Amino acid sequence: MRKLGPWLAAPALVTLAVLAAVPIAGALWQSLFHETSREPARFVGLGNYVQLARDPEVRNSVLFTLQFVGTSVVLELVLGLAAALVLHAKFRGRGLVRAAVLVPWAIPTVVAAWIWRYVFDDYSGLMTYASDVSWFSDPFWARTIVIVADVWKTMPFTALLILAGLQTISDDVIDAARIDGAGPGRRFVHVTLPLLRPALLVALLFRTMDAFRVFDAVFVMTRGKSGTSVLQFLGYKALFDQGNYGKGAAISAVVFLLIATMTVFYVRSVPSRLMEADR
Amino acid sequence: MLRIALVGLLLTLPQEPAPVELHFLMWKPHQREAWTRALRDFENLHPRIRVRVEEGPHSSSELHAMLVTKLRARDPELDLFLIDVVWPAEFAAAGYLDPIDDLFSEEERKRFFPGPIEADTVDGRLVAAPFNVDAGLLYFRKDLVKAAPETWNQLAEQAAAITARHPDLFGYTGQFDRYEGLVCNLMELIRSNGGRMAPSLDERAEEAVAWARDRLIGPVAPRAVLNQRETESREIFLQGHAVFHRNWPETWKIANDPARSKVAGRVGLAPLPRFEGGRSVSTLGGWQLAIASHSPRRAEARALVRYLAGFDVQKRLTLETSHGPSLSAVMDDPDVLARFPHFAEMKRVFFAAEPRPRSPDYAELSDRLQQTLYAKLTGAEDGVAVLPALAPMAVLGLLVFYLSRGRRA
Repeated sequence: MRKLGPWLAAPALVTLAVLAAVPIAGALWQSLFHETSREPARFVGLGNYVQLARDPEVRNSVLFTLQFVGTSVVLELVLGLAAALVLHAKFRGRGLVRAAVLVPWAIPTVVAAWIWRYVFDDYSGLMTYASDVSWFSDPFWARTIVIVADVWKTMPFTALLILAGLQTISDDVIDAARIDGAGPGRRFVHVTLPLLRPALLVALLFRTMDAFRVFDAVFVMTRGKSGTSVLQFLGYKALFDQGNYGKGAAISAVVFLLIATMTVFYVRSVPSRLMEADR
Repeated sequence: MLRIALVGLLLTLPQEPAPVELHFLMWKPHQREAWTRALRDFENLHPRIRVRVEEGPHSSSELHAMLVTKLRARDPELDLFLIDVVWPAEFAAAGYLDPIDDLFSEEERKRFFPGPIEADTVDGRLVAAPFNVDAGLLYFRKDLVKAAPETWNQLAEQAAAITARHPDLFGYTGQFDRYEGLVCNLMELIRSNGGRMAPSLDERAEEAVAWARDRLIGPVAPRAVLNQRETESREIFLQGHAVFHRNWPETWKIANDPARSKVAGRVGLAPLPRFEGGRSVSTLGGWQLAIASHSPRRAEARALVRYLAGFDVQKRLTLETSHGPSLSAVMDDPDVLARFPHFAEMKRVFFAAEPRPRSPDYAELSDRLQQTLYAKLTGAEDGVAVLPALAPMAVLGLLVFYLSRGRRA
């Protein structure tokens, strides 16, 4: 029976190798070449990376990507937790509210981004009634809107994950705390929150990885203007607008390495018992 | 038995050769009916060729991305396509284009406007055929403006006087979003002040950009133009909310179409203003017909290129869409002049239209220019400071640390 194991795993491993490992290796290899649509490939070693390091646009994109990931994930977690607590409470019409909270998550990102773009259009958008700021040409507002749009869109996802976590917490534990004289605040901080950690950690893990790959919101709303360029958008520009394949591959490699680093960090921090899901 | 015999008979009958299907990728046209009619006539002239039009995005940079993807993949469903006047050098260097020197003799090439022919000639070879010529033009409300302004400062003064009487009007709209149109609009301002854009902005260029930032966008044009392209900025003018408007030639037809424009019949047209001591400059734009070098149907594609770049079709499409024809003779045609009397004066604008910097790496060059110009126009520092970028990541890290700590307790 032991011998059967590798054979049973083989189809999955082969699929993974073909669909993930080979293309990743291919992109890493390509990133070592200077290759454009106009010129034949020429080996330059780490030359593309050196150029990226010197490019202020890349530097700004890395920084805004980090700002975007940090801000939106933290906000999504906090707001998602609040929403999950509301959804967990028993009240009339809870089903309706649960469905309503999920709506933004059900809208495709591109469509959601268009909605936000229309809202903040400085000639005919809804917000022109509130203020005459030219939203997308102001770096502060442009960045804020991109982040707000992402939080609005993805908060339901974290809320749902956290809600699932809340539902695994037995009422007995809460009741025991109440009998011991703990008020709602203490019950939340000392009982609910510690028991929610696995769910919160999983939500953070998923969202961080996702947020690093942000592209569509920026592509639709700002096309990278006003300091909202993110790494993935820069990669798109290099590959599709400029036909600069070596540079594009190098940017993809940087994104890959960033996400891989984060993943290792997370997997290390998550206790092994959680990873084995042995609750 | 009889049935088999019948089938055998049918198989031996001489068969019509299957029609060749040409795939033509172009932007979404404003006047689709005009195109459909022109292409149907082509099919009638060449019964063996069917033309299938694929409409790409209207935005130049998005069409570029789509074309490069298809060309690099040698898409079998792509035979000919339209390319922007700034792409031939890049596409030719990449080997995407099938040269068409033999299609137009030296004599014939002289009949086109010189700007696009020069752009389409790469290393001495004609790699595309001019389809239409665009040049920036100044549209204005002739019911409000007595005489078109000669200089940019006059434009600002006239606009200020008119908007003082009509507070619901904006003085000017143009294209100042961060995209290719920004390069076109600012090149007109910069060159009409005697400045240059590439390889870097000189003093006169900086002066013109500063003028646009301080005296045009805000006081005369709404700040919203910083997020507007052709369609949005034109819409303000069509709705009767702008005194002056900068756009390409085909706007003439749209602005005078009562179904789409509230200012039909009240539109004036003039060359763009200049700065004191400078001369009026229009950016050369326009589209070229190009044939994919990988296409097996290049012979049929050539027939369509010839047809679309020919006098008759150029005249028809000019009449029906008001686009700027690539053949200068079309502008002298009595029928065309009867419909568009302004072509008599505009012809010299088309002849003098100035090309953008030419380079196989134009996309990258333009992107850098857009970055610089947009930052200068918005007056905003778009660099990202390190602290606000890293602080949220630190919070995130602390959260992970807190959540993963003491799980086993």
